[in-house]
Amino acid sequence: MQNPLSNFTSLSEKQLAELDRACGWSLNALELAEVQREFRKMGRQPSRGELETLAQTWSEHCKHKTFSGPVSFKSGSKIKKYKNLFKETIVKATKTLNRKWCLSVFTDNAGIVEFGKNGKWGLAFKAETHNHPCAVEPYGGAETGVGGVIRDILGVGLGAKPVLNTDNFCFGYLDSKKKLPKNSHSPERIMRGVVEGVRDYGNRIGIPTASGGLYFDDGYLLNPLVYVGCAGLIPTDKIDKKVVPGDLVVSIGGRTGRDGIHGATFSSANIEEDTSASAVQIGHAVNEKKTLDVLMRARDLGLYNAVTDCGAGGFSSAIGELGSETGARIRLEDALLKDTRIEPWEIWVSESQERMILSVPKAKLKKLEAILRAESCEYCVLGTFPGDGQLLVTHGEEKIVDLPMAFLHGGVPNFEKKAARRKVKILDGAPLQPAKTYGGLLKEMLAHPNVCSRHSVITQYDHEVQGGTVIKPLQGKYGDGPGDAAVIWPQAATLDLNDFAGFAVTHGFNPAAGKIDPYQMALHTVDEAVRNLLCVGAEISRTAILDNFCAASPRDPEVMGDLVLAAEGCHDAAMAYGAPFISGKDSFYNQSKDADGKEYPIPLSLLISATAPVEDIRKAITMNFKEAGNPVYLAGVSRRGFGGSVYGDMMVAGNNYIAPLDMKAAVKMYTALLKAIKTGCVCAAHDVSQGGLAVTLAEMAFSGGFGAEIDLSAAGREKGLSALELLFGESPSRLVLEVVKDREAEFLKLVKGLPVGEIGYVNEEPSLDVNDSGAPLFREDIFALKKCWKRELI
Amino acid sequence: MIIEIWTKEKYAGNEEAAFIARLAHAGLKVKTARLSRLYRVDADFTKADFSRIASDLLTDNITEHCSLTPGKAGLKSAYRVEVWLKDSVTDVVGESVKEAVADVAGKLPAAVRFGRAYYVPCASELKLKLAVSKILVNEVVNKFKIEKC
Repeated sequence: MQNPLSNFTSLSEKQLAELDRACGWSLNALELAEVQREFRKMGRQPSRGELETLAQTWSEHCKHKTFSGPVSFKSGSKIKKYKNLFKETIVKATKTLNRKWCLSVFTDNAGIVEFGKNGKWGLAFKAETHNHPCAVEPYGGAETGVGGVIRDILGVGLGAKPVLNTDNFCFGYLDSKKKLPKNSHSPERIMRGVVEGVRDYGNRIGIPTASGGLYFDDGYLLNPLVYVGCAGLIPTDKIDKKVVPGDLVVSIGGRTGRDGIHGATFSSANIEEDTSASAVQIGHAVNEKKTLDVLMRARDLGLYNAVTDCGAGGFSSAIGELGSETGARIRLEDALLKDTRIEPWEIWVSESQERMILSVPKAKLKKLEAILRAESCEYCVLGTFPGDGQLLVTHGEEKIVDLPMAFLHGGVPNFEKKAARRKVKILDGAPLQPAKTYGGLLKEMLAHPNVCSRHSVITQYDHEVQGGTVIKPLQGKYGDGPGDAAVIWPQAATLDLNDFAGFAVTHGFNPAAGKIDPYQMALHTVDEAVRNLLCVGAEISRTAILDNFCAASPRDPEVMGDLVLAAEGCHDAAMAYGAPFISGKDSFYNQSKDADGKEYPIPLSLLISATAPVEDIRKAITMNFKEAGNPVYLAGVSRRGFGGSVYGDMMVAGNNYIAPLDMKAAVKMYTALLKAIKTGCVCAAHDVSQGGLAVTLAEMAFSGGFGAEIDLSAAGREKGLSALELLFGESPSRLVLEVVKDREAEFLKLVKGLPVGEIGYVNEEPSLDVNDSGAPLFREDIFALKKCWKRELI
Repeated sequence: MIIEIWTKEKYAGNEEAAFIARLAHAGLKVKTARLSRLYRVDADFTKADFSRIASDLLTDNITEHCSLTPGKAGLKSAYRVEVWLKDSVTDVVGESVKEAVADVAGKLPAAVRFGRAYYVPCASELKLKLAVSKILVNEVVNKFKIEKC
């Protein structure tokens, strides 16, 4: 049989598609035709290495073709056209806000904002997804996801020192009775593997995993989502990097093997029964730690001009990116290999883990080599960055790739994607009254997988290593209350024990709302993240956010429609809260079939990761009640609607309306509340989110070991709001505050004219007693409530 | 050479209970089970060398004991399930142990691989295999075998 590569330029569309499938490139017909046209122009046939390089460079993972491409959005009879959806929504907000404290946005491996007062430090922040690998091999997929995002932080600027890992997961319900296809794992199995993978990598490398979340929905049954993030500190004079023609291409860290072939192109495809196993690997945290230590030492000595990580696409992607202007000459025979049974093109695209690429001036190689040897870190010199804009990769006498960088990075064709508004029937009438008591409902809600304690996951992680985790993921008198945000004091990086500047990190996430109204979901998600930061006393006017979109196949116009609406929501929320996006990522094709052939697309899932400075970490506050007798306030107005709520998932609510968010009012209220927190008037704050007000009060009570006497008559509420909606509704922009009794007058002055009402006081007696205008709603023992909440998830 | 490390019975209650619960979750109810760790050390060492590596390096002699003849769990009518990472998959534990073995024995072994063994008394090998594939192995990265003890 003839090798199809020998007559590639004359293959038919059908033959091209067959070749693409056989090689696992995930290129579409338009892209294959463009490649064919380019090689016809060159008057020759491509090599396997060239096609592999193009496939990974043009992959969804590397080029983000869906989000950064043109879209035609149809809503009713109106059509709106986008040339570049990402630039016209997310990036536009950042550009319009133009914050001086944003030091690097959307151009490097992570976003960087100013940290501390003296302008010496930047805080780099990035979140990634590793969904497809985790569906196939949960442990290895999660490990390499964590390793990858840490390398993003190591590869930002000239390298930042990681000080925090974050993790957010979505799984199918652990007790799901749905029949799974032969090749898939149960949600329990996936969760256990993912948690163990994140634990083993983070704990072994010595970075605290201290902020995250867990979410369950059967939409994730076959496609779990695994978001992993990392934050690090970088000196501001180490942010700029530039490859200088003549520099050496040096690979440090792990060796190259056949593992991890086609990870980048894997992300451009739906998971099928015969998904390739080589796309996932097991990580090696100790190797990455050696690489980290070398980088920090070499960076401070100025031994390299640029650095980036080998992620998806391996050498091809990392060297291709670094040499996008200068070109590169690479000799693959000089690569350090795990195994000699490997084709040259495989060396070029292998995604073996724990490798970084440096651009090193020849005169500094010796000094760098001395550090590499001292840290027992393996390395190899692969070639040079010549400055002629051509990528030439050889293995001995064999030419593997000979392509102009301009075509590699600028040649990918893009086509307009159709987007349409999803039709969702909205029920906005009065909700059905449940047969259960409010106390009984609360107990059931506290045990709901999306509300209950995450201790069985969190306690597996080392969240104390580096000694800077000030506000921990588990808080309160017993060290097990659910925190809103983590506060980090990065003294391990700054080495300044007299500077108490820190930063808070948190997340917002609500895919259930996205099923009904993606635009409002995006607003609510940003609001939740900002509110969480406020709850620990972070400077919310300096909030910086990351967007991580995960969706099903973008070939479905309704999936694209959801994405358009959520992206517009992101823009509007960023503008209203003055919170620029500094980095982001997207993952598509999260859609699979079950054993009966039924499609399981995930719901549109937008994770907003947020960070803001904490001026003095000693003044940060936690969420648990602190002292009997202190007054309790509810800030914000409770509004109608059970859309996207836990109550709506548990019961037949007869109402799926989502209350629109008044962002202007929220910002005004949050600004006043932050002042009250910073002046010490507030000693505990907790946001009202999943499960509603009743859950928030219960969590504050049992985490502090105090009860509370509550009367909701002074709670701000929409006219006609029922007690059921007030207790379990999840309308946004609300939080519960415990105010220091002696400072109440001062607090009231600061919140004058705002919807902040006193709803009761903290009680020594361990029961939560909730009334509405004198009418009893429920009275429950806090330890009984805690027992319901503190489930062992794994 | 395969070295097997056991947690002494009086300390093994928790790990065995957790394993039995996971088997039950996968549809296989058993009353007892035993677990052990396996190290396959590919090296041209003497038996005395292997013995020293097993007892001095790999075993916590207070809570564990070791054996150079794997497969003796002392359970009646039990199956033994042996699980390893495939040779093509990075074995982080094995790599670390390889360096440590070199320090103890003075020679670098060709390879060290880490695995686990599970001893499960049950009537049906088929049911056991099903449970194993549900909770213990992922054939993307693992290889395993089941044999009668």
